[in-house]
Amino acid sequence: MQFDRRKSSLSSVDGPPGEGRRAADRPPSPMPTSSLSHVARASGLSTVSETDAALVTRARDGDLGAFATLMSRYRDTLGRYAFHMLGSREDAEEAVQDSFVRAHRALADCRQPERFGAWLFTIMVNRCRTAQRRLFHRRRHTEDLRDDVAATGDTSASIEWREEIARALAELRPHYREAFLLRYVEGLDYAEMARLTGAREPTLRMRVKRAGDRLRLLLRDVHAG
Amino acid sequence: MRVDPDDAPDGTLERVIAELRRPMRLDPALDQRVLEVLRRDPIAPGPGIDSRARRFRARWIAGVATGALAAGLLVAVLRPEPGTTRPIELRLSAPASQVVVVGDFNDWDPDATPLRPGNEGGTWRVELRLPPGRYRYTFLVDGRRWVPDPAEPRAADDDFGAPTSVLTVS
Repeated sequence: MQFDRRKSSLSSVDGPPGEGRRAADRPPSPMPTSSLSHVARASGLSTVSETDAALVTRARDGDLGAFATLMSRYRDTLGRYAFHMLGSREDAEEAVQDSFVRAHRALADCRQPERFGAWLFTIMVNRCRTAQRRLFHRRRHTEDLRDDVAATGDTSASIEWREEIARALAELRPHYREAFLLRYVEGLDYAEMARLTGAREPTLRMRVKRAGDRLRLLLRDVHAG
Repeated sequence: MRVDPDDAPDGTLERVIAELRRPMRLDPALDQRVLEVLRRDPIAPGPGIDSRARRFRARWIAGVATGALAAGLLVAVLRPEPGTTRPIELRLSAPASQVVVVGDFNDWDPDATPLRPGNEGGTWRVELRLPPGRYRYTFLVDGRRWVPDPAEPRAADDDFGAPTSVLTVS
């Protein structure tokens, strides 16, 4: 995940990614680094080169356009995380919307504007935790995946594979699902995950490992489409 | 403590992760909805608002904490011997340099409950105090080997692929 657009990971604020850390501490594979800039280009925004910090400063001064640019940079990443955590497109969009509103109202508390993405993601994680308690078993992942068939032109085999993954993911306890997604899907290292979740690194390692073991077990007889 | 020296995902997980990383398309109108909310409710994002909120929250939390403390003291005075926990000793005989127990009672935290080596060679033990209930747990030997408790029944479905025991405290 490229929260700091000038660097390649959240941890890079303290040094280059993974520097001084064991190989296994680094995200297993980097997120597509072009995703955010691609979003910005696609949106035709003239502020593509503007840093998050500069945009945060302008947004604090009441410039909603600057905040819109920040939203365009992070909406899809937040949305994907919320969708996998909450299991429904509707709930994910509500969570993203709410997180953006909360973030805007709390911009004064963003003490490191250059790490706006990490700060915003913390709001998102907490928002999902709250929603998780409220939603409980109301996961509608499968229906939402079905809705995507026409839009993506996926084969039925790949849709089935996605449904199996959604079902398996839904079986994980929320803390394990959270750790697995942050580690492997968002590509965070354990130090950053610890800052973001408030859990200790050994606990997070355990959650990731057990989540992986569980997913592997649940999906062992299912073949990718 | 390291659980696994290398948590790089294998083939199955790699395919799962690739799937989960697919871009998520949100409603294109979402940003506009957010901006509408912000325009309708223009709380200036300047300094002070959240600080004030935080101070209020801090005072509120302090008040609640004080009340809870007072209530706790009252309960402790009225019920000095609540008897809600039971002493439990877990043991494992295994050649190892480190043994920990992880389970429902410690949020599966591998740092929370290490066993100490006993006098007899190879026997590790730890004492816990647990409220009555049913707990799933397993031993983690040298940070990488899951070992169920031979003294307790196995869980019908091993949790997360690891052999798991069930302890019932009555």
